[in-house]
Amino acid sequence: MQHEAAANVIDAPSAGPGREGPYKNYLLGAAYDEMFAADGTTRAHYAQLESRLTRLAPEELHRRQQACELSFLHQGITFTVYSDKQATERIIPTDLLPRIVTAAEWGRIEAGLKQRVQALNHFLRDIYGDGRVLKDGVIPRSMIYGSRHYRREMRGLQVPHGAYVNICGTDLVRREDGQFVVLEDNLRVPSGVSYMLANRDVVRRAFPNLFRAMGVAPIEQYPRELLAALRALTPFQHDASIAVLTPGVFNAAYFEHAFLARQMGVELVEGRDLLVNDNVVYTRTTSGLKRIDVIYRRIDDDFIDPLAFRDESSLGVPGLFNAYRAGSVVIANALGTGVADDKAVYAYVPRLIRYYLSEEPILDSVETFLCREPKSLSHVLANLDKLVVKAVGESGGYDMLVGPHASKAEREIFAEKIKADPENYIAQPTIQLSTAPTFVDGAVEARHVDLRPFILHGEETVIVPGALTRVALKRGSLVVNSSQGGGSKDTWVLSN
Amino acid sequence: MLSRVADSMYWMSRYLERAEHTARLLAVKLESMIEQSREDADSSWSRVVAALAPEERAAASSDAFAITQTLAFDPANPSSLLSCLRNARDNARQVREQLSLEVWENLNRLYLKLQPMTMEAIWVHHPAHLFREVLQDLHTLGGVTYSTLSHGEAWHFLELGRHIERAQLTSRLLDLHFGAAASVIGETPKYFDWLVLLKFCSAFEPYCKAYTAAIRPEKIAEFLLFDAEFPHSVRFAVERVCAALLHVAPGAPPNRRAAVERLAGRLKASVDFTQIEELMSGPIAPFLDDISRQCEHIHDAVYASYIAYGAETVL
Repeated sequence: MQHEAAANVIDAPSAGPGREGPYKNYLLGAAYDEMFAADGTTRAHYAQLESRLTRLAPEELHRRQQACELSFLHQGITFTVYSDKQATERIIPTDLLPRIVTAAEWGRIEAGLKQRVQALNHFLRDIYGDGRVLKDGVIPRSMIYGSRHYRREMRGLQVPHGAYVNICGTDLVRREDGQFVVLEDNLRVPSGVSYMLANRDVVRRAFPNLFRAMGVAPIEQYPRELLAALRALTPFQHDASIAVLTPGVFNAAYFEHAFLARQMGVELVEGRDLLVNDNVVYTRTTSGLKRIDVIYRRIDDDFIDPLAFRDESSLGVPGLFNAYRAGSVVIANALGTGVADDKAVYAYVPRLIRYYLSEEPILDSVETFLCREPKSLSHVLANLDKLVVKAVGESGGYDMLVGPHASKAEREIFAEKIKADPENYIAQPTIQLSTAPTFVDGAVEARHVDLRPFILHGEETVIVPGALTRVALKRGSLVVNSSQGGGSKDTWVLSN
Repeated sequence: MLSRVADSMYWMSRYLERAEHTARLLAVKLESMIEQSREDADSSWSRVVAALAPEERAAASSDAFAITQTLAFDPANPSSLLSCLRNARDNARQVREQLSLEVWENLNRLYLKLQPMTMEAIWVHHPAHLFREVLQDLHTLGGVTYSTLSHGEAWHFLELGRHIERAQLTSRLLDLHFGAAASVIGETPKYFDWLVLLKFCSAFEPYCKAYTAAIRPEKIAEFLLFDAEFPHSVRFAVERVCAALLHVAPGAPPNRRAAVERLAGRLKASVDFTQIEELMSGPIAPFLDDISRQCEHIHDAVYASYIAYGAETVL
């Protein structure tokens, strides 16, 4: 769960709403605040939470917070940090204060995300098919064929319903003007949905009355919807044999893989449980071999089949790709979807939406300068101190420059790198993430948050009304990444 | 059910049985030390060590603190209580989606409770208390497993693992009191040691019910080997192994099933039809060895037929 753009700017705190009690340290900065308007008044949909917190003793909140952490630890909702010889299990901290989204805001997000995923699926079908979008010159050919996530092996392969991306996690942030904008699409193996569900479980228990009173939309149906989306990919429907393919217990998201398999009532398999014979995929069971029809894979393209892709992979299944090409098994998400979520293609998504759907994009994207375009290149080089520059194919904060934080020397070195290989870089202005009330050391303070809803697409597009809200727990920090002091929150989407 | 899942279920259960056995031996031993002379206590410690750490660690020390440390908490000792619980938990984690939340939470909580403990802290208070508590937790886990997990194939693999392990552990204990291994210890068991043996198998009261409180080694051997109703007897464990084998791998081809069931039937016959008088008239060791070996053969056959079979043999 990387989040590079989050590192973009420093918050300059100004005077808070000037309240007493738990809010005395609550500082309003340049960012949009989810609970308080700029003049310090409480936004209507946060009024109930605000007054509930005023009446709740900090010790009580603290006690509930600890109960929640203990419950996560006991349930094994942990990720493992490896150092030297010791493996330490940590929980991702959950902040008990829910992040609230109104029905109207959600309606717009939902419509915008459906539109976006539909356009991206059209795009993937097109570039692995006729390549109309390339012939029409909407997006440069070299950008697609040069991408290391483009899988030539996928050319001409028919995927069910033309749906390449079946499970998508899109990162949104709220700008200073209060608009939600898309920061990043995750079209490969997005994770985090188990935290959305686990957070709901503990936060609902911590604030049962508030939860009931506010009319929060349910999200428990997610595993059912996921199962339905996976079933829609095979003609066998209810008889389909479905499996979640995990890299194994050492993967950071293993808990999620096991959780989803259990909640859907399907098998959790590792590569070593599967074998391919005559282009049919089987699992090895105590009673013999059993055929598998649909694989929800949580392994990256590169590692899924050592015969087709990286041959040193021991996680994958030899022969799986051939079986997939032969149409005897469905893999979700399809292979090769990574080409559509790289940072250069991101800049084209609004154009893709217009091109395929003849609609205006509902959700804005962050303004992106493609260094491959000469005009943008000169703008980027002239404004390196204000921009964040990222390498196109990388994720996870590698090979990037955060202009406002970099020294003059660092900027000069990076400028040379950009000039040497402009096609490999894009630049974006720094983004202020919105802030939301967060429980810190016995008080309520403002912390920066993002929003990751999960979109399912089998025969049709379904979005469960909820999301993972990630929160930067350090004051002023814009990094919501769990490995760098990030936590998460339950997201309450109101039903009216 | 996936072969890998069966493997994890089976081992999770074996490790839990071993953990329970270790905890019980330590609790009983620490409690009984209070009533024993120093020499007697030492010789019965060597029996505990031989029962729990059969090889190189046996003669390391006669100091109760050091022995308990090794048997309970030493992470380098693969059969320490903590290692067993860690292995059980690692296996459970592999099949997390097959277990009920309650089963996982109870096991996880027990491990997390024990894992940070130090001997120094435990030794200050009555250390037997801790092991009694662990036993209590393990019994709770057993009950939770019984009542929250479906009694399907996964559950039968748990049963299989638990009872194969139990049959072997009980045979080993008997060997240390009656068989060839008894001579290694040197001292012949005294009255008090027989009591302790019964308690090692939580058999004291059930034994008294069956044979009254008169402690007679031959009767003890009969009870722990051949009683049909007592859960820690070898015969009971073997009966459960056979029952579990009827329910696992329901769709496996008949020739594979037959290979396993034939071995199980043979073991069952030897515990069903052997009489204690025959055994006590000569050395008992060969019989105990044979039980242990037969358990291993069943284990191997289960793996060959259901878990680690070559895919080419079924295609």
